[in-house]
Amino acid sequence: MKLKRGKMLIDPPASASSDIAFILIIFFLVCAAIQPETGLAQILPKTEEQKEQRDQSKNIEVSITPTNIVLNGSPLQLAEFTRRIKAALQKKTLEADRIVVVKSTPNTPYPLWIRVSQVIEQAGGILTLELESEKTINVK
Amino acid sequence: MKIQRKKLTASIPAFAMGDIGFLLLIFFVILARAQDDSHIQWQPAKLPDVKIASNPLATVSIDSSFKIYLDGKETSADELAGALNGILGDSSSGQRNVFLKVHKEAKASHFEPVIAAISEAGGDLIHILEPEDNPTNQ
Repeated sequence: MKLKRGKMLIDPPASASSDIAFILIIFFLVCAAIQPETGLAQILPKTEEQKEQRDQSKNIEVSITPTNIVLNGSPLQLAEFTRRIKAALQKKTLEADRIVVVKSTPNTPYPLWIRVSQVIEQAGGILTLELESEKTINVK
Repeated sequence: MKIQRKKLTASIPAFAMGDIGFLLLIFFVILARAQDDSHIQWQPAKLPDVKIASNPLATVSIDSSFKIYLDGKETSADELAGALNGILGDSSSGQRNVFLKVHKEAKASHFEPVIAAISEAGGDLIHILEPEDNPTNQ
């Protein structure tokens, strides 16, 4: 005849459950806080207001509008722009010649702007922004 | 005859000290790390080939209503360069990381003055973006 062994049931102490919950909250908070952020580093020359006239004839000029990207006067779509900017920068050996002057219309969306600037940097260009400065002229 | 009342002594259990110390440590670690900009409503733009960004000295955000924030506090593009100069101080190049969080619907008129201000302060600009899903996975 077999004797059945009595099962021993051990309940976790209920008073500790709030402590456990609190520790879990802190654990997930820390996990959320240390989640790494992803992004794109961008090297920009320090902003200066240059009074002297620069010889910009050598620099590649890119204008970004919501509908297209204009490279040295030719309106292009992103795929064609990528191909052309790579070809244009491959010929440039001097760092000064690799400067790409980027102008944007005020309504250029950020996703397009960041994509174009990524393409320029991946092609080896040095991005420079040309901002429109507002000037108030008093007419007498 | 006076009946003496029994003195009740309340002592803090010494075995809990380790737990209390540990919780306090975590509390201060979180406080030290947190640059509270969680109240800012923004959605990042997506881009392929983004990299993990290292820790910033300052975070500039443009929210969904195109307001500018520096470390969670609202500011303007004109004041930004000066405020960033104060934060970045004399930190060496490569240690002057500034995160830029731009809402995906922002236009050049919103984000270009901010980029110019970061550049003027000599910050190492890092655009915070979301990695774009690989089209082959969709």
